[in-house]
Amino acid sequence: MNDGKTAWRNIRIFASLVLIGAVMAPIFLSDASWPVTARDYLMAQGQAESGAVNLVSAIYLGYRAFDTLGETIVLLIAVTGTLSLLARVESLVSPGPEDTSSPNAKGFSLSLEKRVSHALRTNLLEEVTGKVGPIVLLFGFYVMLYGHLSPGGGFQGGVIIASGIVFLALGNPYEDKSVLVRPAILGGMENIAFLLFILSAMSGVFLEEGFFGNPLAVSGTPEGFIILMNCIIGMKVGSSLAFMCIVMMGGANHD
Amino acid sequence: MRPEDLVFATVMLPLLGAAFALCANMFPKGKGADTVEFIGAGIGLLLPLIVLANVFPLVTGGNAIEGVIGSWHEGIGITFSFDGLALLINILGYTVGIAAWIYSLGGGPRGPAFTGIFLIQCAALSATIMTNDLFNLFVCLEIMGMTSYVLIPTSRKAGASLASFSYLMVSASAMVFFLLGTYGLYRLTGSLSFQGIEAGLALLGSTQRILSLACLTLLVSAVAIRVAIMPLYGWLPDAHALSPHAVSAVLSGVLIKTPLFALARILHLLPEGTKIGELMSIAGALTAVVAVVIALSQRDAKRLLAYHSISQIGYIVAAWGMALRWGIDTPEGLACMVGAFLHAFYHALFKGLLFLSVGTTVDVTGERNVYLLRSSIASLKGRGERIPITFIAFVTGALAISAIPPLNGYVSKDLITYSLKGTVHYVLLSIASVGTVASFIKLSRIYWRGTKVAAQASLSTETTPYWPRLVAEVLLSLLCIAGGVASHLIIPVVSDLLAPANVIAIANANLFSTDSLVKTAWTVASGTLLFFAATSRPGSVVLRIVRERPRDFHGLFISFALGTAVLAGYLLI
Amino acid sequence: MIERILLLVLFMIGFWAIMAHRNIIKKIFGLNIINASVVILFILEGSRIGNEVPIMYGGIGPTADPIPQALMLTAIVIGVCVTALSLALAVHLYRTSGSFDIDVIKRRIQDEA
Repeated sequence: MNDGKTAWRNIRIFASLVLIGAVMAPIFLSDASWPVTARDYLMAQGQAESGAVNLVSAIYLGYRAFDTLGETIVLLIAVTGTLSLLARVESLVSPGPEDTSSPNAKGFSLSLEKRVSHALRTNLLEEVTGKVGPIVLLFGFYVMLYGHLSPGGGFQGGVIIASGIVFLALGNPYEDKSVLVRPAILGGMENIAFLLFILSAMSGVFLEEGFFGNPLAVSGTPEGFIILMNCIIGMKVGSSLAFMCIVMMGGANHD
Repeated sequence: MRPEDLVFATVMLPLLGAAFALCANMFPKGKGADTVEFIGAGIGLLLPLIVLANVFPLVTGGNAIEGVIGSWHEGIGITFSFDGLALLINILGYTVGIAAWIYSLGGGPRGPAFTGIFLIQCAALSATIMTNDLFNLFVCLEIMGMTSYVLIPTSRKAGASLASFSYLMVSASAMVFFLLGTYGLYRLTGSLSFQGIEAGLALLGSTQRILSLACLTLLVSAVAIRVAIMPLYGWLPDAHALSPHAVSAVLSGVLIKTPLFALARILHLLPEGTKIGELMSIAGALTAVVAVVIALSQRDAKRLLAYHSISQIGYIVAAWGMALRWGIDTPEGLACMVGAFLHAFYHALFKGLLFLSVGTTVDVTGERNVYLLRSSIASLKGRGERIPITFIAFVTGALAISAIPPLNGYVSKDLITYSLKGTVHYVLLSIASVGTVASFIKLSRIYWRGTKVAAQASLSTETTPYWPRLVAEVLLSLLCIAGGVASHLIIPVVSDLLAPANVIAIANANLFSTDSLVKTAWTVASGTLLFFAATSRPGSVVLRIVRERPRDFHGLFISFALGTAVLAGYLLI
Repeated sequence: MIERILLLVLFMIGFWAIMAHRNIIKKIFGLNIINASVVILFILEGSRIGNEVPIMYGGIGPTADPIPQALMLTAIVIGVCVTALSLALAVHLYRTSGSFDIDVIKRRIQDEA
């Protein structure tokens, strides 16, 4: 009986894979020639219009900045949702044999009392991350600030900054952590960055450029706006991701 | 301010409000934080209404405000177009949004994070309906999805996070398919805007036909998941039944309809749109019938309402599909589109009302089972309702959804069936409305007197105020009644907003004709009969089988694959 | 051609993982895999029209199409967010029901309700 059920399940799954594969195959395997109009236009005009040498930056902070706003919003929602879910512990069933209380479950935990039992966070790890942390932070700022000239930008820089902050959090064996790794500070930075993003996106309205228009378009230094947006996004992404990582490692228990 | 900026303010104001509300998190709890949060909610929910009132004269008579966000170059920037449809959907979203937010003050969830995410959801709705860009549509749909995955488990009910997880997996996978469809269309046409894609596909002619059809299939089925049309509805009942009441009202009132109307904007440009519309309208009519049968079998009060959302969405999709089939610029098509929108709007009002009033009752009595809960009016009185407002609100909603004149549900359902007369949909939708009557008689039993008196309120000990719930219920009830009584004023305005420039808006159909009234009487009579049949012994055995049919997680994906393949096959033939 | 076939295979593996695996963490892996396959496809095919990076330091040859790169940047971040949220939901489900198996979770929650 049970075998029959499993077989029937497998047959249905296999059949749906075949069906989906049949719809997907023409798209994946197509070799229609790639369109060049947008690329050619951007090569000719992109730098002049947006001020960014890096055309990818020009698109996601200029031409399609609204998509970027959407993606930071998604990030914001993910952080808020993750936090509200992780902060809640209520159990429906009594803990079974496969429950959490094994010491390994605490892996990289940041809280002191849990730290005695785990083998994953060695002194070596603490020493190295503590030393490397500031350097990673510096590199993150470089990637963020030079996003309009070289590969990189707010997102990439922000992610590096986030890893720098996580390194700082991991690298400190005591409780006197730097301000930067406190969840409350990171959460506040995230909210402020979001507000700043919205305000700078609205700034174009007052200069007749419209929402997401470049308010510096006529000033001769249009790249200024790209740099500003890169910084705000870097701050937003950096604080969001670091916030999420630190809370997932159990850092929130201390606030 | 240029008109382009004015309409875009409907997206930016809620976002600004959300940013304010989230900043309230940084204040210590108390007066200050509350003030900031309320200012945020005011900016996000009330100011857009003022903007909409100002935009109204600009978009009547088939006009649309078009532009590129940030005045960038057209081929690369994001184009948008704010037309009558966008205005109407915005009105729908903000009306229900305001009512639900007020309700949440009394019924939870509360707090700056909730307000922030709620406002972001409103902004996403507004952006979804006005965008003219495929990738931007992807981003907006993702924002809408993310807000719902986060809001559903805030009810803290057992199973809410599982419902949210199932929804997340299905809809996030569907969004990957959507992205793949975007890739295919960009590859073929070199453009992401709807008009650019239309022009590009027209240039291609019949070469690469298979590729373009496969892409369209993926886009449509990804959106269909969100709309919960027949084979793809599996995620909805749990998600809507287990989320907080205010969130349920928005999810089923607004969130499942916006993607549908956004999809219409690209489909009506493409020649394949008529075929897709035809198939979807049949699926919609079938959905209306099947979902109402399942709804009749439900035991949980809110789950019953959730299945009714699917059923009513079936009505909307049936009319919407036929509008695409006939073309929006023909009089019949326009009539269908007006019917589809009005039903979407009115359904948002009465379903929101039902979710809120049943939610209050369920909270007050602490019992969700329709078979056990009795004499709720007494419990409501115990909670301090001298006049049973919640009960009256429920009756208004139930009469509206059962299409009893003169409430709004009667108007929109009549408009749909009137314009679909002579098609197979007409028969299916008539059957569905009989089922609706029967299942609402069943649901109204929670207010009947019974021997079992429900357990009294865990709610009475809570500190949250009770009045916001009543305010929201009264607001929606009044709108339901107004929508029915003032229908002769509303229908011409709506059809004028939806009509393309060269089409004369439909003349006011005679909705309260003797024919329609007789038909309503028949529906009510057969609905009552069906209710008694369903409560009889054989009837309850059948319903039990329907209720306890197996529902697996992988079944969601199997039906998705099946639906996609059927659509692809139908387009190819 | 071979790359595209491999990407299709990658996609099917991911989709299979979502459907067939009962472990919810593996389902989340599957979601990541299908997302990655589409992202790679978009970037890969977008670079068929030029080899240079789209950074305009004078006198370079035809560059890759920058639009897919910018779009995929967005899609990747969205993918990460969805993953984070789904993992948080998975942790929460594990805490409430004590299992990662979707069928077991469902059964336990139904028993409770």
